[in-house]
Amino acid sequence: MDNNPVNEALPDAASVEDNEQNVEMPSHTDESLPALPNSAPATPKADNKTPKITVVLCPVGGAPIMRQRKWEVDSTQTIGFIASFIRKKLTLQKSDSLFFYVNQSFAPSLDQTVQNLFDCFGSDGKLILAYCRTQAWG
Amino acid sequence: MAEDREILREIWEGRLPVCFTLATEEVSTPIAPDPFYLMVPRLTYFPLVTDKVRRHFVRCVVPEKHDNEMWLEFERHPLKWHYPIGLLYDLFVSNSELPWQITVHFDKYPDNKILKCPSKDVVESHLMHSLKEADALKHKNHIMALMQERDHKQLWLGLLHDRFDQFWSANRKLMEHSAEDGFRYIPFRLYVPQLTSKPFVQYLIKPVENEKKLVVEDLLQRANLNFESKGPFQVVIHGIDIPLETPLQWISEHLSYPDNFLHLCIRYSQT
Repeated sequence: MDNNPVNEALPDAASVEDNEQNVEMPSHTDESLPALPNSAPATPKADNKTPKITVVLCPVGGAPIMRQRKWEVDSTQTIGFIASFIRKKLTLQKSDSLFFYVNQSFAPSLDQTVQNLFDCFGSDGKLILAYCRTQAWG
Repeated sequence: MAEDREILREIWEGRLPVCFTLATEEVSTPIAPDPFYLMVPRLTYFPLVTDKVRRHFVRCVVPEKHDNEMWLEFERHPLKWHYPIGLLYDLFVSNSELPWQITVHFDKYPDNKILKCPSKDVVESHLMHSLKEADALKHKNHIMALMQERDHKQLWLGLLHDRFDQFWSANRKLMEHSAEDGFRYIPFRLYVPQLTSKPFVQYLIKPVENEKKLVVEDLLQRANLNFESKGPFQVVIHGIDIPLETPLQWISEHLSYPDNFLHLCIRYSQT
């Protein structure tokens, strides 16, 4: 799953960060896997009761990168929530399009939950979501 | 196999009578428009069958709202256009009342609750991505990826124009599997609004494990939900109460919606 060819096209800073994370995943991300009650430092939204899922956001097709690729997201959150989060981070306009892909194949519905996608398509304890500004995989 | 093909057709031909009524607060004409009755296929999506409904009601709302997107409501639930009609009925209508009374709106689109659907292209895209997701579960997305654009169009046009043979000419390829193992995983979504705040749950389950055919009961067991806590229940799809011993592979091949997912609703008997 992590052999995403896109990584090579990224500027150095991001690649370095990426390598680091691939070699040794910081322990806090391990602790935050869904089955556990979670003591991880929360990112987008803090809620101590909801388990977190590690979501890796990969830009594809020339989409702008974000300084941080790995996020702890409440398992009950939806793709729509991640979409508005990315829009804010990248300061996209309402009229700008944004697409998500899982498995380099399909675009999940905006009301799909992170938990469901992780349960079906997660690997190595994380869910990889590709995002782009134009349609990438039809 | 012959009789099983009959089942595919029976499912395809499932219809629901619907009575559409314009929301009273949106009527701008002196006399409220008549309700609009329609028989709609259970397997399709509302935006594909409601052009006539829109034309019937739009003339009775104020001109500023003529270009607004229409949306539908049942007992205060805005109806998600991207759920198949039969699923919405199984999910929300507990007393099996027919015709199904649906309220039509042109104002105050609840875009925090339902997705926007500006055109039928959006429905096509939604169907294609659901099919890809299902195929990713069943065959690692190999079949959808190898299919020609023409086959993708057959799936879409078959559903759009309600043509069973056209749809199944392409869909049968998506239902292929090895005889002994079946699909890799069964694409399904389980709707249990009574027990979870999530709209539906989805996880991996194989049709065959250790040479044993898994059944609907096995699927429920892995949901980690206490189904019995709310009393006796049924598993419903296409309005059918499914026996818990139904093999998952069979039900996936025969009772999946056109998006290739089994949309299973849990229904508790009314007390």
